[in-house]
Amino acid sequence: MSLTAQNPEFTARKRRGGGGFHRVEPYLYLLPHAILFFVFVVYPVVYGVYVSMHRFDLLQQTQTFVGFEYYRNLFDSSTPQSQFFWQTLLNTTFFTIVSVPLLVATSLGLALLVHRPIFGRSFFRAVFFLPGILTVSVMGILWRWMFDNQIGLVNAVMTAVGREPVPWLATQGLAWVPIVVGTVWWTIGFNMTLYLAALGNISQSLYEAAEIDGATTWPKFRFITLPMLAPITLFVGVTTALASFQLFGQSQVITNGGPTRTTQSVIQYITEEGFSNNQLGSATAMGFVFGVMMLLLTAVQFRIMARDAREA
Amino acid sequence: MAVSSPTSRAVTATPSKPPRRLPRDIPRFILLCILSVIFLAPVYWMISTSLKPEADVLASPVQWIPRNPTLDNYRAVLTSPDGNILRWTWNSFYIALVFTIAHVFLCAITAYPLARMRFRGRNGWFWFILSSLMIPGIVTFIPTYLMMFSFHWIDTPHALIWPGVAGVFGIFLLRQFFMGIPKELEEAAVLDGAGSWTILWRIILPLALPALVTLAVFSFMGSWNNYIWPLFVVSKVDQLTLPVGVTTFSQRYVTDYGKLMATATIAAVPALIAYLLAQRFLVEGLATTGMKE
Repeated sequence: MSLTAQNPEFTARKRRGGGGFHRVEPYLYLLPHAILFFVFVVYPVVYGVYVSMHRFDLLQQTQTFVGFEYYRNLFDSSTPQSQFFWQTLLNTTFFTIVSVPLLVATSLGLALLVHRPIFGRSFFRAVFFLPGILTVSVMGILWRWMFDNQIGLVNAVMTAVGREPVPWLATQGLAWVPIVVGTVWWTIGFNMTLYLAALGNISQSLYEAAEIDGATTWPKFRFITLPMLAPITLFVGVTTALASFQLFGQSQVITNGGPTRTTQSVIQYITEEGFSNNQLGSATAMGFVFGVMMLLLTAVQFRIMARDAREA
Repeated sequence: MAVSSPTSRAVTATPSKPPRRLPRDIPRFILLCILSVIFLAPVYWMISTSLKPEADVLASPVQWIPRNPTLDNYRAVLTSPDGNILRWTWNSFYIALVFTIAHVFLCAITAYPLARMRFRGRNGWFWFILSSLMIPGIVTFIPTYLMMFSFHWIDTPHALIWPGVAGVFGIFLLRQFFMGIPKELEEAAVLDGAGSWTILWRIILPLALPALVTLAVFSFMGSWNNYIWPLFVVSKVDQLTLPVGVTTFSQRYVTDYGKLMATATIAAVPALIAYLLAQRFLVEGLATTGMKE
């Protein structure tokens, strides 16, 4: 610090600068990030357009141009690409539609349970938050074991209470149960924390006023808590929906997409097309189509959020 | 704000009258206990299974408490010729650490001019880079993989560190925080002849420490838990990260659940330690501000 202070040239330049800083200084600060940004963000998007229009082979020097063939394939029902892409997109949509309301409702319920003081509150909060610290692979291995067809804990409990064990992972439709249950268990604590913060921000005077008017628990929840939580509910819903559409790890580890692709997510299929089938161009085209859908979804949700913010 | 000193803590920790509505809370308390048991059951089951010899894992009726507890599964997993779980932990740690340092540094020097300097194109550039948040990751997934291939970065830590370093959410976060720092502090330093670099390091960054720590924690956790990208860019067994290594074990030990659960337990330990450490600060923080229940 003293070094720069004693440097006459440096201070002189400062005075001339008027705004306090030399003209090129801001750009020098921005340069390192700008370089990496162009290399790792802008270029891959542009390069992706190129890749998606070529029959791309890693080991070839020159790539065969195919134009929009891979994009057309997705809209031509006779190709396996279109069949699997739309099926797995439907799977992912199904997962999102089932899991988002569940994830929002359970985390709100849990937050309400641990919001007011109670003996051991910190402990309960810690317990509900705990699963979220596990990586997706540990969580996946754990829930695959819980729902194991023969010896999983869920089937053991069912046998113990006199029910027939169910081959969860091998049954179409039922294979979603471990994925959804595991995801709820895994993410509930994080959403609960968001709800707790929002609950803490609701002014106590609203409840006091309602109590004077004779309101009981349910009306207070219905007409004060729920409306006051609307913005955070929207936020949790949006982030959870976007995350659910990115489903990959859970179905990869728990069911490996099975039985017969019924739990395969669209991202799983895209990577399969790219890396297992060596169709990098085709997979990139799918990535773009799916990416544009996510972009539209985000735009719609931003609009809703903006409207909601104006009304609030 | 209460000062973080033993005396103030003693004062706030003094119990006021306990709330007299305990009976009404009993059903809620019981419900919470039941939910806690359900929530902890999978983790308990994981640890319990990891301590059982292979024969007992499949025993029916199930053994809630291992009858013949053994550490054999842990021994087998830790000395497995198929891969080294400690090595994977180290890889994950090293990658997350380098990534975090590089990312936070880059975000800080980028957010600084965007928040504190006036220059042509400032807002334009800010919105340009910010708009990249809208691009879903899958769009650049394969192109970035192909770049890693041409850089010869496949199976090296570089592929796991550098592509994400230019993320912009951290820039947004730090910019918002930097903008809240009073201008006067900076002006005083300018009068003393301090350059922008000095101002950044001696004034802005120390004041923005909470934001920097938050960003660092999120960056570290994000890198540590990343699964899909390392799954595809790294396949050499000794270069794997912990989350991916664990699943390669899970493919080998498909039916050997004792070893699998030992693997999962070991993989959960670093996160658990970090959580317990953070939890202490969290509780202390709540206690010192008098918000303790």
